[in-house]
Amino acid sequence: MNAVIQTVLIGIAIGALYALVALGFGLIMGVMKFVNIAHGSFIIIGGYVAYWLFTLLGIDPYLSIPAVMLVMFAMGLILYRLLFSPLLKYPRAEMRLDKSLLITFGVMWILDNTVTLLWTPDTRSIVTSYTGSTIDILGAKLGFTGLAGLILAFLVAVILHILITRTYFGKHVRAATQDSGAASLSGVNVQRTYLISCGIAAAVAGVAGVVIVSSYSITPSGGLNWLLTAMVVIVLAGEGNITYILPAGLILGLVQSISTLFVSSAYQEPIALIIFILVLMFKPKGLFASRG
Amino acid sequence: MLEISHIDVFYGDLQALWDISMTIDEGKIVTLVGSNGAGKSTLMHSVSGLIKHKTGSICFGGIRLDGMSAHQRVEQGVSTVPEGRRLFPQMTVLENLEVGASIRAARKVRFDTLNWIYELFPILRERKKQRAGTLSGGEQQMLAIGRVLMSQPRLLLIDEMSLGLSPLLVQEISRVLKDINKLRKLTILLVEQDVQLALSLADRGYIIENGRIVGEGDAKDLLCSEQVKDAYLGMGLAGKVDELE
Repeated sequence: MNAVIQTVLIGIAIGALYALVALGFGLIMGVMKFVNIAHGSFIIIGGYVAYWLFTLLGIDPYLSIPAVMLVMFAMGLILYRLLFSPLLKYPRAEMRLDKSLLITFGVMWILDNTVTLLWTPDTRSIVTSYTGSTIDILGAKLGFTGLAGLILAFLVAVILHILITRTYFGKHVRAATQDSGAASLSGVNVQRTYLISCGIAAAVAGVAGVVIVSSYSITPSGGLNWLLTAMVVIVLAGEGNITYILPAGLILGLVQSISTLFVSSAYQEPIALIIFILVLMFKPKGLFASRG
Repeated sequence: MLEISHIDVFYGDLQALWDISMTIDEGKIVTLVGSNGAGKSTLMHSVSGLIKHKTGSICFGGIRLDGMSAHQRVEQGVSTVPEGRRLFPQMTVLENLEVGASIRAARKVRFDTLNWIYELFPILRERKKQRAGTLSGGEQQMLAIGRVLMSQPRLLLIDEMSLGLSPLLVQEISRVLKDINKLRKLTILLVEQDVQLALSLADRGYIIENGRIVGEGDAKDLLCSEQVKDAYLGMGLAGKVDELE
C-alpha cells in the first residue's frame, strides 16, 4: 500500500513538472501557430541563469525565480522580434508552422552551443541545504524540491488560466488566436499581443528550468528531452488548449510512475511515446476533446 | 470626413483597384455597389487597413491613414463589420463585445456602450453567456454590429450586411443602422450586394466596376438611373422576359 502511495506521489510531482515544461510551448503554439523547437533550450537557459545567480551571488534558486523570469521574458521578446514577427506575413497557419519549425530548430543549435561555451558541457545542479530533505505525506515521502515544483506548476497553470480567461489581455490573446484579422479590425494590437505572449512563454520556460536545476540536473544538450516531453503533453491536452495542459501533464506523470510498479523503470520513455502515438491515432484532438 | 484620393491597390503584381477617389461627408450614409469581384471588398480593406494601397492617399478627419495598421485606424474612429461577420466563435457574446472595446478610449466607457447595445439588440443580453459560434445568422449579425459599436466609431464600414439573412432581419438591422446614423450622427460606408436595399438606405452611392469607379451620385437618382436599373436591378432583363411571354 505504501509503495502505491509513494508511486502516486512521485507521479503527481513529475507530472506537474511535465505540465510546467509544456505550458510555455503550448502557449506559443496555441496563440501563434508556431512550433518553438528551441523551447527546451529556453528551459535549460532558465536553469543556468538560476545556477549562476546561486553560485556567483548565493541567491536561493526559488527566490531567484522573478529574476530568471525577467531575463527569459526579455529573451522571448527578442526571439519574437527577430524571428517570429517576419513569419506573420504568411497568412496560412501551416506555412507559419513549417517555417517556425526550421527557424527554431536553428535557434536551438545556436543556443545549445552558446550554453556549452558559457557553462561547459558538464552536468550542473543546484545543491542547497534543503536538497534531499523530504516531507511525510500519508506515510510516503516526497522530496522538498519535488513539492516546490508541484506548487510552482499549479501556481503557474492557475495564473495563466486566469490571465487567459479573465483579463483583457487574455481576451486579446484568444481573439487573435481565433481570427487575427477580425481582432485587429476590433482594435486589438495583434503584434503586441503576440510579442507579450512570447515573452510570457519564455518566462514560464524559465520557471521550469529553475525547478529542473534544483531538483534534477541540467546539461547544455538536455533541452531536447524536455521538448519531447512538452510535445507529448500538448498532444494529450489537445493543441491550443492551455487549460488542459496541467491535467494532461499529471496523467502522463501518473501513468509513467505507476507503470514502474509492473515493469522496469527503463520503460518510462517508451511508455510516454506509446501514449503519444495512441492518442494521435485515436484522439487526435486530445484526451479532453468532445466527440465530433 | 473621409477623403480617398487616387489610390491604386495591388495583390502582389495584380492590380485590383485603379485610381479610386471617394468622398464621404460627416453624418451621411454612403454606399458602394457593384457586382461580384468588382473590388468592393478590396476598397473596404484598403480603408480599414487590412490591405495597404500603393499610391494615393486616404485621409480621415484631416489625418492621413496611409501608414497606419488596422488597429491604429480603429483608434482614429474607423471601424469595420467585416464580410462574413468574423466573430470569435469560441468566445461568449459578452467577450466578443468586450474585445470590440479594445482601444483605450472605448474601454473607459464600455459599460455605458454595452447597455446601449443591449437596448438596441435585447437578444444579445439574453445570450450574453452563450458562445458566439452557437448563435443564429441574424443574432451573429447583430453581435457583429454590436461589437463594432463598442469601439466608439465615427465612421462605420459595413461589408455585405444582408448576406445570408432573412428579409425580415435585413429590415430590422437596416432600421437600427438608420437610427444610429440619425441619433448618433454616425457616418456609414455600406457595401452591399443588394443594390436596391443599399441605395434606399443611403444618401449617396458609388458604382464600382472592374476596380474603377464608374458612377456616383445621389442615392435616389442612382436608384432611378438606367445604368443601375440595367446592370444591377435586373429590371432591363425583366422587361425582356415580359416581351418574350
